[in-house]
Order: sequence, then structure tokens, then C-alpha cells
Amino acid sequence: MSIDGRAFAAGQAFLLSAKGYWTRTLYPAVRAEHESGANLGQSVLYQYYCWLERHLQRFKYSGRYGLQPYHAQDRARLEKSLEAAPAEMKEGFEYPEYYTRVDIHQHPGGVWSDPIAGFVYERGARSTTPLAGKRHRDLHERLTAAALERCPSARRVLDMGCGFGKSTRPFYEALPEAQIDAIDLSAPCLRLAARDARQAGARGVRFRQMDCSRTDYPEESFDLVTSTMLLHELPPAIVEKTLAEAHRLLRPGARMVHLDFLPGPEPFDQLIHFGHARRNNEPFMEPLARMDLPALLERLGFRKTAIHPFEEADGTLDAGYRYWRFPWALISAERW
Amino acid sequence: MIPEQTFFPDPALDRAFGVVMALAQEMWVLRDRVAGMEAQLAEHGVLDVKKLNEEPAGDERAAEREAFVAHLMQDLLGQQQAKGTR
Repeated sequence: MSIDGRAFAAGQAFLLSAKGYWTRTLYPAVRAEHESGANLGQSVLYQYYCWLERHLQRFKYSGRYGLQPYHAQDRARLEKSLEAAPAEMKEGFEYPEYYTRVDIHQHPGGVWSDPIAGFVYERGARSTTPLAGKRHRDLHERLTAAALERCPSARRVLDMGCGFGKSTRPFYEALPEAQIDAIDLSAPCLRLAARDARQAGARGVRFRQMDCSRTDYPEESFDLVTSTMLLHELPPAIVEKTLAEAHRLLRPGARMVHLDFLPGPEPFDQLIHFGHARRNNEPFMEPLARMDLPALLERLGFRKTAIHPFEEADGTLDAGYRYWRFPWALISAERW
Repeated sequence: MIPEQTFFPDPALDRAFGVVMALAQEMWVLRDRVAGMEAQLAEHGVLDVKKLNEEPAGDERAAEREAFVAHLMQDLLGQQQAKGTR
């Protein structure tokens, strides 16, 4: 059965409103129960909290008004719009097993297997955080500002795990004279990113299919290496290789800046975050949080390592902030 | 196919709540569509929204509503409707 545009928009808006209620009302109620000493293992409220986190996302992607069926019915036009996209694909490229084993975010087929996956992912990402983006600058712009504050003279930038280009755009907009290279595994996402960059008139940006843990760039190629929500998608061994690769690619004295999720030590925060990981099909989120990143970075030859909570929208780090949010963290370090 | 995750002590509730949420979403999609139709009809002078919104003088759809409610509630009785075995 087809889905008309109005029904799709209404169906998705319903889910977003439900997610907003979950974010602003159910999550604080669960936290209040926990703080009152209740055992969440016995909590009916927590059961609904978990159910909704899992299934609102399933409805969003695969439901009757889901992103996947809605975009699939427009497949021919969407695929055609990518035909001339100037992304560089690697011939005979094979996706790593860890990448194809699980459909991350409950995105059917993952973000890589379907030629229209980039469109589905892009549309889905607009409503990942129900509270962000309304009254604030987008978090990607905040990350770009934070990175350029640390590397004001960056002229060669590598964006690892660029996806459909949302993280890359603020860099090529802020640095029109710079050379920005953006790499990812997903061919469909790279094609969408390249198409959009061309439409935006960006000249100094390239989108290339490449594994961030073993790139083809010469040593000391970049003034800045960055990633946004990449590290938690990688198994620990690949995180280590990726950070080592970032070290190899940076010129001495240059910095890398990664935005990702690292919960604090509170058991409740970890329960919520690791539970989210399981419910959202994120097998490497908990392993990343359990890595000793400062020790690893020192061993790899970085210095001035700084890992800080990141304010993705105004006020989210305030003591009184009670709504659900990702534990955003900015990880930065300088190459010796 | 991999079995879906469950969160309630009885997995029947996991599935039933999925049905509830699917119906709620359908209801919102319908409400949105009806509101859109009302707006277009009013714009073209076909519909008097004020009159539509008034409390009705009579109860024209009482019988229809009673039947709807009876159909909705009858499963609560747990009775077979056609003679069979226990």
C-alpha cells in the first residue's frame, strides 16, 4: 500500500511527538523513580520507557509510515538523482564484517546496502534528538566551531565517517579555501553527500570511500582530523587502529577532534546509555565507553588529551537539565 | 528472522502494546487528514465548520454507536460465539 506525503508526515510527526514525551516526561520520571530508591528492574514505568525507545525507532524506520517504505516507493527518482554524484568509490570494496553484521539504528539493511540508504538515513537523522535544532545551532556547527577554535589555521581537514555529509558541510562552509576530505564506508551515503556538496557549490571537498582505520593518504597529510558519531560504531580494535591512523595522518603539533558518546560513571547514566545501545542496535557503544581512551592516546603518541562533556544545545549541561540526552563528549588530542 | 526484544514480564504485552501504538498512529494520521479536508472544504465554502463544531441537538448516531461499543467490548466476556470445544 502506498504512503502519501501527508500521511507520511503525520505518521512521523506522531512518532516524534511520542519521542518528545518520552524525552521530556518519561525519562525524568524514570530518573525520579531511581533517585527515590526504587529498583528499576521492577519498575513498570521503566518497562514502558524501554519499550518505547526500541519501538518508536522501529516504527520510524519500518512501520506503516516508515522512512524505508516511504523512500522505497520513490526509489527510481532517488537513485537517478545520485547518478552524477562525484563521490570516489573504491573498486572491489568490501565492507568489514562488523559493519554488516547489525543494522545500526534499526535501519533495515543498515546505512550501506540499499542505494537509497543515504536518503533514509538523512531523513531519519533530522529527528534523532527531538529537542535539538529548534532554538539552537545544529550540533554539527557546534562541533565545527569547537574544532576550528582548537585549529584556527586548518587548511587540510579529514572528516572520518562522514556519512551523508552532515558533519562535513559546516567545515566546507566555514573553510571555503581549505581542502576537505571526507571518507566513509557507505557508498550510498557518500553519493548523497557528494551530490549535496555539489549542489551547495562547494569546491574544496572530496567524498571518498575508505576505511578510516587504513586510509591511502601519506603521512602528515592533515592539519585537522575529525569525526562525528563515528567511534561508537567501531569495535575497540578498530577504534585503536583509527586513532593510530589519525596520528599518522596529522602533521606534528596538529589536533584531532572527535565528537561521540561517553557516559559518566553514575550507574544510572550507564544503565540508560548501555540500554539505549542495545535497544538501538549499537553493539560498540558500550565497548567504546569502557575503553581507557586517555591511556590509549598517550600510548599512540598524542599529548594534551582532553575529553569533555559537549553542550550539543544551549543549556544541556546545566545542573538543572532533566531531559533525556545523549552523553555527548568531545575528545581531542594533539600529535607530538 | 530474529525474535524481537522484550521488555515486559509477559511478552504478550510487548506485542499488544505495539498494536496499541500502531492504532494510535493510524488515528493521528486520520485526524490530520480529516482536519486537512475540513480546512479545504471550508476554504471552498462547502463546509460550515462552526456548525460542524456545535453540540448536536439530537443523538442521530446513537444506535450506530451502541453497536460499535458492543462490538468493541464483546471480547471481554470471553464467550464462544459459535459452539465449539473448550
